Amino acid sequence: MRNPFTRPFAVALTVLALASFVAVPVADAAGGARAGNRGGSDHARAGGGGKKVQANNNRADVRTNNVRSTSVNNVNVNRNVNVNVDGRGCCNNGWDNDYHPIATAAAVTATVAVTSAIVGSIVNAPPPGCVPVNYGGMIYQQCGGVWYQPQGPQFVVVNPPY
Amino acid sequence: MLCKMLVPVLLAAALTAPSLHAQTGAAAAAPPAANPVDPAAIQALRDMGAYLQTLKRFRVSTGLTGERVLADGQKLQHTATARMDVERPNRLRAVMTSARSERELVYDGKTVTLYTPAQKYYSTVPFTGSLTELVEQLERKYGVEVPLSDLFVWGTPAAPLDQIESAMNAGQDFIGGDLCDHYAFRQGKIDWQIWITAGSKPLPRRIVITNRADEARPQSASLIDWNLNPAFTSATFRFTPAKGATAIEILPRKTK
Repeated sequence: MRNPFTRPFAVALTVLALASFVAVPVADAAGGARAGNRGGSDHARAGGGGKKVQANNNRADVRTNNVRSTSVNNVNVNRNVNVNVDGRGCCNNGWDNDYHPIATAAAVTATVAVTSAIVGSIVNAPPPGCVPVNYGGMIYQQCGGVWYQPQGPQFVVVNPPY
Repeated sequence: MLCKMLVPVLLAAALTAPSLHAQTGAAAAAPPAANPVDPAAIQALRDMGAYLQTLKRFRVSTGLTGERVLADGQKLQHTATARMDVERPNRLRAVMTSARSERELVYDGKTVTLYTPAQKYYSTVPFTGSLTELVEQLERKYGVEVPLSDLFVWGTPAAPLDQIESAMNAGQDFIGGDLCDHYAFRQGKIDWQIWITAGSKPLPRRIVITNRADEARPQSASLIDWNLNPAFTSATFRFTPAKGATAIEILPRKTK
């Protein structure tokens, strides 16, 4: 699963970076082995999210964000399983919910464009004055009416989650 | 369509004399049940729920495959994993990992914390209650879903077994080398299947849920691995902020 993502990068990387690329699966394998055995000790690995190779979805087709519904993960939870795709319907509350509901509606993009924060656009850092909040279990940077979500080391403008 | 055709048949079968019913039962090895809800399948769920409630300490790991339906009906699959350390009645640590996010949920019986290691942000709210209450409140109040939350609900009144419209035994299968009984259920817009370890330790090993609310029928499949003798300590359930971690607000779910 990891290889298809990492290989294209490895081609462009220096020898030094290549060395760290090789080290990653080893570290992961060690973490996986520990996960099967012990409790307390592997929290360090769980807490080290920033250092791992991160999936990059910058090149994903814009259509992949136009989600009309999703699978459900639990039987005994009453919820509306349809994702509202009119621009306000982020976060179907699934524990695996990691997709960024960007650019779901042209109308929303046009509206937000006035404030020069186009939904789907990516910045290296959110503007000053943004407040980090947790909504629906996901991290956002809220800047007035504009919401950013972390995407790797960068931030992407998303539709407001509510 | 099929249901509409079946209903008169089933009604007719139910109305006919008991002797006829007995005859068809004797003639075929596995006659179609007059009652779409096989009581034995419901009992299997009840037994599994009761057994789950007896487990006081365990580690459970899951690998999930889910689906998103795009606007035109095309489906995309995605994966996620989670690992949970559990000590009933009120301790939980969950680590949830997917392509773009890793999150931790830590509950020590007094407070519950959601932590995102990549950004080093955490949110803590006071909460006292059972794990069953925790998963219900997190979902209802904050829109936060706990992986495999059914595990904390089965065997309690929050998982009513009388709302299942169809229940059947689907035979046996091997999951991860373990012989399992396979059952299939329908309730509302959800079809679901479960593979339960055969024998005296009825653990759920695989769950498949089909969402019929969309004609594309997005489906999730979860493999479940169990460790009933986990080595964790009480420190596992205590959240200690990492160096440089920042507390942020968690917003209650807004009702539309």
